[in-house]
Amino acid sequence: MATLHTDVLVIGGGSTGVGVARDAAMRGFSTVLVDRGDLATGTTGRFHGLLHSGGRYVVKDPKAAEECIHENVILRRIAADCIEDTGGLFVSTPIDTPEYADRFVEGCRAAGIPVEEIPVAEALRREPRMNPLISRAFTVPDASVDSWKTVWACARSAQAYGSRILPYHEVLDLTVEGGAVRGALVKDRRGGEDVRIDADFVVNASGAWAGRIAAMAGCDATVLPGKGIMIAMNHRLVNTVVNRCEMPADGDIIVPIRTVSVIGTTDQKVADPDDWQIARDEVQKMMDAGENLVPGFRRARALRVWGGVRPLFQDKAEGADTRDVTRAHTLLNHRQRDGVERFLTITGGKFCTFRLMAEDTVDALCAEVGVEHACRTADEPLPDSEPGRYYWLGSRVERREPTLHEDQLICECELVSRRRLEAAMLRRETVDLDDIRRTIRLGMGPCQGGFCIYRATGILHQVEKIPGEAANRSLLDFVQERWKGVQPILYGDQLRQARLDDWIFQGILDVAHLPGGWVGAA
Amino acid sequence: MSADAVVVGAGLAGLTAGVRLAEAGLRTTLVGKGPGAMHLAPATIDVLGYAPDLVERPAAALPSFVAERPDHPYARLSADTVAASAEWLSAHMPPLAYVGTLEENYLLPTAVGVPKPSAFVPEAMAAGDLRSGSRFAFAGLRALKDFYPALLADNLSQAKLPTGVTVDARAVHLSDPGTEADVSPLGYARMFEDREFRSVVAAELLPRLEPGESVGFPSVLGLHEHRTTWLDLQDRLGRPVFEVPTLPPSVAGIRLFHALRDAFLAAGGRLLIGSTAAGAETKDGVVTHVVIQTAAARPTPIEARWFVLATGGFAEGAIFLDSYGEVHESVFGLAVSGVPAAGEPRFVPRYFDDQPMGRAGIAVDERLRPLDADGNVAFRNLFTAGAALGGAEPWRELSGNGLALASGFAVASAIVEWAS
Repeated sequence: MATLHTDVLVIGGGSTGVGVARDAAMRGFSTVLVDRGDLATGTTGRFHGLLHSGGRYVVKDPKAAEECIHENVILRRIAADCIEDTGGLFVSTPIDTPEYADRFVEGCRAAGIPVEEIPVAEALRREPRMNPLISRAFTVPDASVDSWKTVWACARSAQAYGSRILPYHEVLDLTVEGGAVRGALVKDRRGGEDVRIDADFVVNASGAWAGRIAAMAGCDATVLPGKGIMIAMNHRLVNTVVNRCEMPADGDIIVPIRTVSVIGTTDQKVADPDDWQIARDEVQKMMDAGENLVPGFRRARALRVWGGVRPLFQDKAEGADTRDVTRAHTLLNHRQRDGVERFLTITGGKFCTFRLMAEDTVDALCAEVGVEHACRTADEPLPDSEPGRYYWLGSRVERREPTLHEDQLICECELVSRRRLEAAMLRRETVDLDDIRRTIRLGMGPCQGGFCIYRATGILHQVEKIPGEAANRSLLDFVQERWKGVQPILYGDQLRQARLDDWIFQGILDVAHLPGGWVGAA
Repeated sequence: MSADAVVVGAGLAGLTAGVRLAEAGLRTTLVGKGPGAMHLAPATIDVLGYAPDLVERPAAALPSFVAERPDHPYARLSADTVAASAEWLSAHMPPLAYVGTLEENYLLPTAVGVPKPSAFVPEAMAAGDLRSGSRFAFAGLRALKDFYPALLADNLSQAKLPTGVTVDARAVHLSDPGTEADVSPLGYARMFEDREFRSVVAAELLPRLEPGESVGFPSVLGLHEHRTTWLDLQDRLGRPVFEVPTLPPSVAGIRLFHALRDAFLAAGGRLLIGSTAAGAETKDGVVTHVVIQTAAARPTPIEARWFVLATGGFAEGAIFLDSYGEVHESVFGLAVSGVPAAGEPRFVPRYFDDQPMGRAGIAVDERLRPLDADGNVAFRNLFTAGAALGGAEPWRELSGNGLALASGFAVASAIVEWAS
């Protein structure tokens, strides 16, 4: 069994965990980060992509609102390349309480969120598809953000500071000796080998799964998994983040991100963060909500539906509606709570506040071990980001133009070129096309991989020099993975697309009869 | 506008019906929203490939196949009709030719290297038959991103054929003289029509081939000059050369479309491509007009005595599931059968599992006339052919083009018989 030694072991490869690894590494700690899957595959990779201004929470959850605007400003500085500066609108639709708008403005001012009321006609000029019956409109500094890109940029930065990032390493148990956590036993899920990690300090950043990890050290961390679903529409129905000016409700936000727009979300308490369904009536509710914000929403093409599980922490858990639990984050010091030293759990919070969560965590870690190192994550931009140089919709076209005649386009929907795909395959050292998807958005557009899956598999087979059977497995797994998010919402033109894709997969390529065959994904 | 017969849909089913009606002397108008699904499909006539195990002999397998599936469109079509339709097609393809019989399926390699069963195939694909084993080299073209010969050959070498033979396959990557990095199958089809291009390709390939190897190319060997292109390449390489179908657009499918379109026009048919059949007028259980819509023009009714609905299924947009879960047939508002009841799952999470919605489509009587929700003939003079027919899973059974051809053939027979 391999053994690693480190100052800090971080459990969880979502935004918070990667943020902690980066922060700790920048403050001079040697760090190792493990996740049972790929980075950003839990809640971080499964939200609507909204970089909150905080406007959503000003009335109901002012502390969360203040955290959001504080971090919004910082992320624009350090992660501009991951952000599209769409701006945000809060609009009073016909079904909203008119009085809420004044409370909203007051709340924004109190939280320090720049807010400006604009004439309805001006709002409709900016967003012509929006419901013409809105009565008031306010601008706030909402934006959209690519969580995968942010997390991988953080991971690269952490690695540059000496961190080891180990995706697909699942924690089997924590080592507790003499009243302190001393490390963990982890399993390499791709290599099959167990690894012992000795650590001076362990940070549990496993989000909605934090209770399970804490329990391995005999500690308590009650996390309420709050499921939310999101639907990606084929087009940018809006180019600004559009929010209902109302208390948080189902389907109250449409976020334009990259080439799609995402409507979110719902909030439903679930028992197990790994085991939940997307119900048909949930989808219908979202479609109705979309129709209220953008009339004709139901006739647009819905690409995909997915769910994410919020890690909501509440000490007194019984019976609470997850919508009412604060979105602010919580840091649990298990020495104080459970008498177990050198072990912190960071949970709650939001993607937008991950850096702050990491800062608080590493501050507490420093205090526990009795050292003083200042946090620098708010000032040093992530690799490839320059303050003020935001991502914009045309970025990929701009990058594609000069190589138009030298490089092939493998995924036409998302403008993924062959060179980019090959580089990603080599960099990620993975044969899992879904890992590649999260890195470069392969297969995420309207055809959901109908055309690019075969191409990407052929290229994978060449680049990674893997046997045909391994390539076939990647192809079939990716077909299954794409289907997972499409099938609960198949109707209209997307059903038509899915039938064309099936025609390609089964009628033309006959992939169901590949050597190695399909035995069914979990 | 008026006609004896109006066919809606320009795919294999619609054109087959249209050509036969026009050749029988009926004034026939064919309305197509676009150029039809033949531009997508590989042009092989797959009659029955899986039931669900591999079908080696379709003629022998069909009787029990339909006995177990009384709602399948093949239950309305005799094996004789299927065979006759294939013979009819072969007669209408010159200078191209189809080969094969209903007795035995070819096993032809797909672009990912699966031996795929097909009954009738374009002659330029036949040398790819894997049933007797043999040695194959698959040629990759640098700028064509829709064909990966190394993966294809790797998988074929692992393939388990019912005959027990093994296939010896390898890839040869050509540094062809394409000028751009990204050339579509159609772009290559045009390049291959150039003798000079073929001579460069053959010169590079020939010394790299081993004795006894047949050569597989992606299906891009010429569009309008296909036969010359294919035969010339075969001459230059001195061995069998065959095409392997790959991603849409399908060059072989476009050749098939051109052949049938030309036969339709030669027989005096009127072809309206770019016109959507937006609705119909009916009276006393009879369709009197189809209303077509062309770009910005006014809706135009076309009067006729007989109508053929050959618009396709969900993939073609002819049958439509709306966001509330209601299913619609777009031209005649026909009932769609096989739709799971409200509250039942329409699709299931595992991709290759049986999909409850998979067989939804138009139910028909023995003359292929659509039935209403109560099982009665919806309109006496309306017939249905092709992927609009319910009860089949064309891509899982590999029956799509077989059904399209045989049903298109059969509705024309029914109308011609009525007219006389």
